[in-house]
Parts: sequence; C-alpha cells; structure tokens
Amino acid sequence: MIRHRTLLVGVGGQGVLTAAQILGAAAHAAGLPVVVGQLHGMSQRGGSIECTVKVGPDENTVIGEGEADTVLAFEPLEALRALPRVHRGTRMVVSVATIVPFELVRTGGRYPPVDEILATLRAATAQVVALDGVAIVGKTGADRTLNVVMLGAAVGLGLLPVDETQLLDAVGARTAPSFREANRRAFLLGRDAVREPEKAEEARV
Amino acid sequence: MAVATHEPLLATGDGHTECLLGNEAVVRGALESGVAFASGYPGTPSSEITDAFARIAARRGIAFEYAVNEKIALELCFAASLAGARSLCAMKHLGLMVAGDPLSTIPYVGVRGGMVIVSAGDPGMHTSPNEQDQRHLGPMLHLPILDPSSPAEALAMTRFAFELSEQCELPVLLRTTTRVAHGRATVAVGELREPVVRGFVRAPEKYVPIPVNARRMRLELTQRIARARAIVAQSPFVDLAAEGDVAVLASGASAAVCRDLARGELAGRFASWSLGAVHPLPEEALIAAMGRVRRVLVVEELSPFLENALLALAARSRLSVEILGKHSGHLPEEFELGASRIEDAVRAVCDLPPRVRPRVEAPAVPPRPASLCPGCPHRAAFFAARAAFGEDQLFFNDIGCYTLGYGPPHHMADALLCMGASLSLAAGVGRVIGKRTVGFLGDSTFFHAGMPALLDAIEHKAEVVAVVLDNQVTAMTGFQESPSAPAPLHSGAVAIEDVARALGAAHVEVVDPYDLAASIAAFRRAKDAHGVSVIVARRACPVHDARQSGRAARPEAFVVDDDRCRKCGRDAVALRCDVPTTLGYERALGRARAMRSDGLREPAIAPCTTRCPLSLCIQGYAGHIAAGEYGEALAHVLARTALPESVCRVCDRPCESACVRAAIDEPVAINDLKRFVVGWAARERPELLRIAPAPTHGGTVAVVGAGPAGLAAALDLRQRGFEVALHDAAERPGGLLARGVPAYRLPAHALARDVARVLEAGVSFVASSRLGRDLTLDGLLARHDAVVLAVGAWRGKRLTLEGSDLEGAPSQIDALAYLSRRADGAPVPEGRRVVVVGGGNAAVDAARTALRAGARSVTIACLETRTEMPALRDEIAAAEHEGIVVRGGLRPIRVSEGAVVFEAMATDGPGAPVERSAVIADLVIVAIGQDPDLAFLDAAAPSLARTAEGLLAVDGETMCTSHPRVFACGDVASTGRTVTAAMAAGLRAAWGVDATLRGREDAAKHTPPPLPEALAPLAHVEGAFVAPKARRVRPSELPLAMRGDSFEEVALPMTEAQAREEAARCLLCGACGNCRACIDTLACPALTMLGGNVAVDAALCIACGVCERMCADDALGPRLGRPA
Repeated sequence: MIRHRTLLVGVGGQGVLTAAQILGAAAHAAGLPVVVGQLHGMSQRGGSIECTVKVGPDENTVIGEGEADTVLAFEPLEALRALPRVHRGTRMVVSVATIVPFELVRTGGRYPPVDEILATLRAATAQVVALDGVAIVGKTGADRTLNVVMLGAAVGLGLLPVDETQLLDAVGARTAPSFREANRRAFLLGRDAVREPEKAEEARV
Repeated sequence: MAVATHEPLLATGDGHTECLLGNEAVVRGALESGVAFASGYPGTPSSEITDAFARIAARRGIAFEYAVNEKIALELCFAASLAGARSLCAMKHLGLMVAGDPLSTIPYVGVRGGMVIVSAGDPGMHTSPNEQDQRHLGPMLHLPILDPSSPAEALAMTRFAFELSEQCELPVLLRTTTRVAHGRATVAVGELREPVVRGFVRAPEKYVPIPVNARRMRLELTQRIARARAIVAQSPFVDLAAEGDVAVLASGASAAVCRDLARGELAGRFASWSLGAVHPLPEEALIAAMGRVRRVLVVEELSPFLENALLALAARSRLSVEILGKHSGHLPEEFELGASRIEDAVRAVCDLPPRVRPRVEAPAVPPRPASLCPGCPHRAAFFAARAAFGEDQLFFNDIGCYTLGYGPPHHMADALLCMGASLSLAAGVGRVIGKRTVGFLGDSTFFHAGMPALLDAIEHKAEVVAVVLDNQVTAMTGFQESPSAPAPLHSGAVAIEDVARALGAAHVEVVDPYDLAASIAAFRRAKDAHGVSVIVARRACPVHDARQSGRAARPEAFVVDDDRCRKCGRDAVALRCDVPTTLGYERALGRARAMRSDGLREPAIAPCTTRCPLSLCIQGYAGHIAAGEYGEALAHVLARTALPESVCRVCDRPCESACVRAAIDEPVAINDLKRFVVGWAARERPELLRIAPAPTHGGTVAVVGAGPAGLAAALDLRQRGFEVALHDAAERPGGLLARGVPAYRLPAHALARDVARVLEAGVSFVASSRLGRDLTLDGLLARHDAVVLAVGAWRGKRLTLEGSDLEGAPSQIDALAYLSRRADGAPVPEGRRVVVVGGGNAAVDAARTALRAGARSVTIACLETRTEMPALRDEIAAAEHEGIVVRGGLRPIRVSEGAVVFEAMATDGPGAPVERSAVIADLVIVAIGQDPDLAFLDAAAPSLARTAEGLLAVDGETMCTSHPRVFACGDVASTGRTVTAAMAAGLRAAWGVDATLRGREDAAKHTPPPLPEALAPLAHVEGAFVAPKARRVRPSELPLAMRGDSFEEVALPMTEAQAREEAARCLLCGACGNCRACIDTLACPALTMLGGNVAVDAALCIACGVCERMCADDALGPRLGRPA
C-alpha cells in the first residue's frame, strides 16, 4: 500500500491550510486513503503554521520526527524549523522569500542567511528545490496564490502522491470562480518553475 | 454559469465518501440525524461546527443561532429538545463550564428530542488556558459521553448520540479533542434526513425540577443511565474483540494511533481495543475482556479516567490482570500523548525495546509567535491606553485577539482568567489595593460574560475603566457574528455604549482607536474620573471588513520618507546624538506626536533646541524624565554641558521663551527639569557625572580665564586629547560664576563640584596667573601649540552723575566689583539704603545681595520699562518678593545728599512734561554693563585685532583671532553675555583649535554646537499643537522668613514627582534621529528596519494610518502627496 507523508509549513496568512485541504481533497478524489492534520487558531495572525497530509493506512494525522517524505515550505525559516521532521530521503520545496519574524525586527535579532538555511537542509535531505514563490505570485496577477504555486511546484517535481490533473481539479473545486483562472496560472507557473533545475534556479531571482 | 464550490456537508446520496474535517463530520452526522435546531458559541477547536451551521442551516430548514454565551446556547438547545426537536449545541471545553448550571440539571429533567452537546477539548493547550478532562463530567452529572478517535467515528458517534439521547432521555456529550476536531479524513456519508419538530407537550411535573419532582427525577436518572449503559455496550464504540496476551485499550485521539500501530510493524504483538463510549462504561464487557488477558495498557489523554475505572472493575471482580498506564509511569497525564510516546509505551508493555529514531541535528530557530495583525485597531487602542494611563497602570485582559496584547511591547495584561473576567479582576484588585484599574475586553466577550461584571462594578462603585475593544466581530475564532456587528451580518447592532448606560455607567465614551488623539484624551478623562468609566473603542476588524466587502485587503501601502525618518534636524550640522532611545522615551515621543494636529510638516528640530546656545536636545531629557529614565536624560544634558550644576541654576533659559507650549498654557520649566536630573545624578549616581581623562596625543593648549567659557573650552580640549593648562588670575576657578553670581543663586558647593569634574578629567589649573602680570601671550605661545583667551569682561561701565563728588553724596560702586569683593570677602562700602542702577541680572543680583548684607531698603531703577528689563522674570519677581522696589523707565540724572534723582523716561513723546523723583540712598550700585580689560594686550608682542566695541575680533566659526594660534571666547569676544553662550563659544573655540592643529577631519569627530544660523527655527504653525492644558509645575523656594541675611540657595529643585509631571508637559515637538517608536511601541508586523531607516512591507500594510499619527519624524504616510 502506498504511504506518503507531506508536511506543509509556513506563516499564518500564506494559505498553508488551504494547500493542505486541496492536497487532501485531491488524494481523496484519486481514491487514496488520506488524513489531513491542521492546527489552527492563530492561522491569520502571522505565527508559524504547519499542516500534514498523510496518504496511506494511518488514521492519526501526526508526522513525527524523521517522518516527512515531502516538505512544502512556504518560507525559509519555517523550512528550517521543520528540519527535525525530515529523513535522508526527504525532498523539499522551499519558497525563498523571507518573512522576518517581527520579534527579530523588534529586538534586532539575526535572520539566518537563506543560503545557509538551504545548505543545512540540503545536508540533511535528498533534495531541496528553492524557488521564489512570491516572485511567481507576482506574475499570476492575483495575490494569495502562493499556496497554489507551491502545489504546482511540488507536483512538477513529482513529490506528491497525486498527479497534475487530480491536483488541478482539486484546486478548481476549492476556489471561487473569479479566482479560478489566476489559480490555474499560478499552478502552472509553479510547475514549470521547477521542471528543469536551471529554471528552478532562475525562478529564485 | 460557473460551478459552485463543492459543499460536502450537503452532498446527497448514501454510501459515497467525503474528505471531512472532524468538526464537519459532526455536522454531517447531525444532518443525517434530522437535527432541527443548533446553537453554540465559537471557541477553538470547535468553531467549524457552528461556522458550518451558520453556512448551511437555512438551506436545510434548520434553526441556528450563535448564542451570546454557552449557557444560553445550551438552554436554547434544551428548549428545542423539549419542543420535540433534535438539537445540537457546540462549544469548546471552557464553554461547557460556563454552561455548567443548566448542564447539571438537564439530565434530571431529561430530554425529548435527541440532544447532543459537542464540547471540544484541547489537550496540549494549543489555544486554551487549561486542558481539563471533561470525561469526569459523566459520573458527576450522569451524562453519557462519547469520545471519537477520527472524523469517521465523529460522524458515526453523532448519529448514535441522537439515538442514544432519545432512547434514554439524556443529553449526550460528544467530547472531541483538537486532533480529531481539526483532523481531516475520508468519511463514508449517509443520507441526509429532514428536520422534524414534534412540538411541545405540556407536562409541568416532568419539566419543573422543584425538589419534590427532582427527587423523583433522581431515581429515574439511575434507570436512564442503566439504560444508556446497556445501549452503548452494544454499540460499535466498544471494540474489545481482539485476542492476545497483552491488550492496549485506547480511547479518543490515542485510539487512532494505537490502531495504526496494530496495523504496522507491531501487528500481532498486542490486542488493540478501542473504547469510544467513556460513560457509562460497558462494565461487563470490560470485565470479560480483562479476564482474557495478562496485561492491559490504557492509552488515554490527560487523567487516568479509564485506567482508574478499569482498576476499580478489576478489583471488584478480583481479576489478576495487570493494568498499566499513567499510574505505572508508562504515560504522562499532561498534554497530548503523541504517536511516538504511545509507541514507546506500547513497545514497553509488549516487552520490546524502544524504537531507535534517527535524530537530525537542528539549529535553534527563532520563534514566530502570533501577533496582532497589521492595522489591528486593538494595537492603536493599546498605544493610546498606555499613553494616557502611563507605565504604572494595572491592566487586566480578557479572551480574544487582544490577549495578544500580553507580549512585548504592549504588556497589556497584568492578569487574565476567562471570558469577561477582565472587569471582575480589575474591580477586585482595585478594591483591595485602592487604585483605579483598567480592564480590556472585546465586544463578543462583553456580551458573553462582561455585562454582569460591568453591572457589578457599577453597583459597587468600583474604580474601574472598562475598555471595550469593539471590532464588531468575534475575530479570534474566525470572524463569527457579534451582537455589535452592523447589518446585514446581524439584524440590528446592539450599541455597547447604550448597554453600559442602561446598566448605570455614568461616564461612557465611544472613540475610534485609529484616532489616537481622541482616544488618548478619552482615556485620560477615564483615568481622572471616579467610579466606572466605559470607553468603547470602536473600529471594525479590517481583516473581516476586507473579507466581507470583497475590497482589496490592501489599499496602497504607506511609504517611509527616508529624508525624514530618523533624521533629527541636527543631522545637517552633524549633531545626531548618541544617546540611545528607550521604549519609555519612544512612547513619550509617540504620545506627544499623536496629540498634535497634522498642520506641522517642517519641524525636524524643536525651537527650544534652536535657541539653546549649547544646542542641547531638550526634548531628549524631558522625554526621558517623563519616562523615569534619568540616566538617559542626564546623558542628553551632559552632551555639551561642561558645568551642569551651575548651568541648571543660572541659565537664562532662552529655550523657555521659544517653547511651543506657551501657545497652549505656559512654557515647560526646562531648566528645572535639567536641575532635577543633575541633582538626581549628584545624589544617586555621582559616577555618571564623572569624566575619565582622555588619552593624550601630545598637543598642548593654554586656556586663559577659568570662567564658563574657559572651563568649557578646557574640558573640551582635554577630551579632544590635548594637554590643557587652565590659567586664572584668581585663586580658584569659576570666574564670573564664582565671583559674580551670588551664593543664594549658585552655592559654592555646586560650582565646586563642576570645577572638580573638569579638573578630574585631566585639566591642569594654574591659580593666580594673570595675563599681563604673571604671563605673557608670547610666553604662552612659546610653550603651547595654541592659546585660548577667555578672560571675560570685568571692567564695569562707568556712570558719571552730577554731584557725585559732593560731600554727603552716596558712595558708588560697580555691580561686578561689589559682587566679586563680597564673594572674595574683601571690604565693600556698606549701604543701608541702596539704589541699584540697571535692569540686568547683575543689577538684581547686586540688589538681593545688598539686602542680605543688611540694607534696610533696596531700589532697582533702570531705563527699561518693567516688561523690557533684561533680567530674568523669576529673578525680578523674587527680588520684589523679598521687598526690593523695582522701578522701570527712570534715568538717573544726578545725586544729591543722600539721594539719587531720576527723571522719568518720556512716554508721551517729546514736549511732554518730565517728571523727576528722588530716591534716598547712601550707596549706589551701578550695573549697566561690563567691558573686557584688554590692558595686557598693550604690552604683548603680537597685537590682536579688536572690534569697534573693543572686543577681540574672532572668526565666528573657529573663534580664531587675528593670530592663527590665538583663539578667544566668552565675554572677551562677544556681547552675548550669558553663561550658556560663553560655554558654547568655549566649545567652538576648542573645536577651532582642534581643526587648526589637527585638521577638520579629526576635529569633526567631536562637533561643537552649531552656529545659530545653521539651525533653521521651527516654522510655528498656529494651532499645530493641540494638547490638553496643564499647569506648569513650580518647585518650592526657601521661605522668605528663612532668607534674611542668609545666602542660602533660594530656588529649590523639583521633586521626582514634580519633574515627571512637568516633563510630561513637553510635547517633544522635534524629530528624533534615533527613533524607532513605530516599530518599538506599535509592533506592527508591516514595519521593519532597512538600511538604518524604518521601512514598510507593502505586502502587509493596510494603510490604517496609525503609525503616521504617532511618527515623531513625520516620515510615514501614504504615497500620495509625498515628494518623489
């Protein structure tokens, strides 16, 4: 039986929750057994947020230490925070646009350089694909599409247990008609940004 | 037509699956049970249940309402049940405690329509202040409880719960936990069922639990629970079938983990039992199952509820089974258990070694806590409250987004308990400690439980300010409606101010928190009021507003004007201070700016500073004093003040005449503030006044004259690394301060401390060395790299009056000679009736000195009118207070025997009759000005150019005389004869020497005060400063009766309380080069630092404008109307 665990991490307001729901819905539509864990409460208020999508026999939604097969990180520092959850074979997509925690701004603390973060992640995992999701969002003509860009990138890399059509259908089912086209564009831009490694690097800006 | 998004809750058809959230599964289960009524109060992690009903109830013909609190919700659902409807009530665990009263009696009365209560627990306290184990309510209240382990089970249990409820006439508690409520999974759904309402059937004896009925009900209750026990024993939620030597009995979210383990690599190692029916327990089934195994591990979150029950059952049945769990130490009682912890326990009871998990070395990652959203009105309200109530105010907080005010920098929660408790906490603490306190709570929380607390506070005349943060929505839990929400969300807005007034609150105000000035003013009134004040801070939640209206959430973001941000106006003359700002100072800056109108645009530098010859940052020390930060305040004073003790006593305060506060009430008592902080340092932190000698670089300078100019120049040169020899004709340093200012204004000990400070810094003093007598300019130039002349102006201008050589004419002396001889203890002519001619400070000093020396009458007469006299107002007033007669507009024309004859100055134009008067006198003190004595120059080899007034001619920038190595400062080179002007000139001369000898680049590391023209004065905009009037604080004086012939200091320093009160009057009207007040006091996530300036993150800013209103530098604003 297929078993695949995806961890989605980011900052409240980035659409992590919705991305997890879409991925869950796509897996469900594909006939896969799936559970989704979403801890909300503070999701609108700029705090760290994580969701889990587990395809396979598990009923419990938790992805423990060393258990994430795929990590979709919407922000570099949150990617670093997810480090204990990865294993040697984990593959990650990281959007490199930073959101500096306000406490660091206020206290003059240091945000680790993104290249350092990526190097740390690469040393611990099988693959880390960095892209500037926020720059890609800029090309979609609609803000708040980072989550769909990330899903597109992940499916483009073959990191998810569903295929492109299944995921795109789930995106369409979840979004209001007026945003459907922008979301479709975001999805395809995310997918294409990582299809070839050079493109991924280019997408970093 | 576009396809509507999929609504899984309404999808028809039996047997298909949906991917549902646990909370959605509950709703779907209720819909499949024909639920007809639903209510609740939002609370994480239960909120999606009521959200879903709010979304779909109308489409299914279900009556749904958000109740104002859980008690009401439960009562409504019970009522619906009595009326024969199936009802569902949802809340979080804390809410069920609010509903405890009805909850405890409903089982007695019993229900008609099936009634399901969903209460979502929060083990691990993701979003709650406690993690109570609600299963204990089962035995306590005779309440059947089901505890689902997955969304699928949540749906099935909800359906079962309705059946169970009707069959045993009891409400059923569906107790979920965060992992289940917020977990999403594939769920098989059934057919939707139409809601049915059977109607109310009158049966008072059944529904009125007066004791006589209640006792009967109690007996029925036992039977109902027995019935329930039998029913649940047959349900799928008791799964004890698996066989084995070791069993794991799991319940709730833990059961899903245990089933996963049983399917995984531990398959066959243990019997996996699930128990979702936690009360009443299927006791017989449990006894039978336990009898089949050797060992049972009970896996449940929080307390050992089932474990204890099993232990009791086993004991009762004399089973030898080993029951493990919390008591055995295999599992903890605290928090969520988590999959790995459970796995470790299961492996342990299966006698397997723990699984080795590879650990990834993870660096420390800065935390990212949740914060108030950009543009949140609560932030503005907190800022205004802090500005009005000050640092010492106690604030009590409540449950809602505004709880986030707990953290830095807001610190708006001294205590917090539960919904509505802010007001009771405030009232209770205030009652006991006798102080006025503040409670914050939101609109929804106010309606929920705040109203009774407010009524109680009003009833008991509590000293409480209730601040209702009315954002018109229950934002924290996902923007549910609040009774204060305007239509169409709510049928009609309930105005909180009307409620407060109806409850009896006398002082009620409504403010827009974005309007900082109005909010601060309202909070101030509330602070000063008595009894209960209610301030409703009303502003719709912008996040909700944007969602509702569909408008772009982010209008054009604000921008920062980099030419203004963190530029204090003295930057242009390289005078940015190096005194770091503090939160307290930034709060003072923001508060002051918030109270200004928007008219002011070109300030940068405060007018007081532009008038200060030393260019002291006056708002810097005033702001820090207001914040109680005296060390920082002192640093501002000492930045360019060589003689702090003296200056704070004798300064002529040109700053005060420029104070913008004068347009509102009175200027700030700037010099008294300075004196307070210098006195504080002398008393509490003398080390702060000391200056360590700077390393020397070999250059040497002679400074001649140890008055204010010479001392300032000497100290500054020493700090620039020069060896300094400071010469003075007198035996002790101080010049005019020692010998021209009387001791009742400047006591000797104060000056002595100043002088000691300069000498300790490494300046060498050479006493009794007069230029022209003991020294020559040539000689000095031979020994030193440069010479600074600061010899002062000691030769009094002469007044020749007709008749002064006659017998019996009063004797005559010039004021400076009179004062200096007295100071030196040298003989002076005594006078019993003294006339002082002149209107300056020397005249007043001489007059008050003569009085103390025994004169019976002293008159000051001067050419100027009273209002034009150059002496300090306060000094003139003090002289009059002591009995000195002050007469303006008089010209002395001659002396006669024992009198001086004056002529009144013409006021009516030429030709008017001239009035003459005589004042009896035996001593005339002449105080009409002084000239420098430059006799020494006549003999000196290098001749120095002079001005028409007979002063040394100097370059205004460097103070260099016509000789390139001779510099001059103070009265010898200037007619601006004040102590601060002299000291400023000394600093400038020191810089001039440094710039000449070492070059401008080195000298510029330590800049002198700017030339007066370098500081553009404040463009004074009429009405630019709007602030409440506040009386100037006047420090006390030595009582008149104690003055007599005493030279004891008359003006006394302010007390700490006086100084802080007075400092708070300062409007801090200048910009600040070190300010980060927007970031540090507002903590808006849209603000960040970039390249030394504040920057706005356009992706986060919602253009609320609050930062613009408190920006002391006027650097933040919308892009429009800004220079490119």
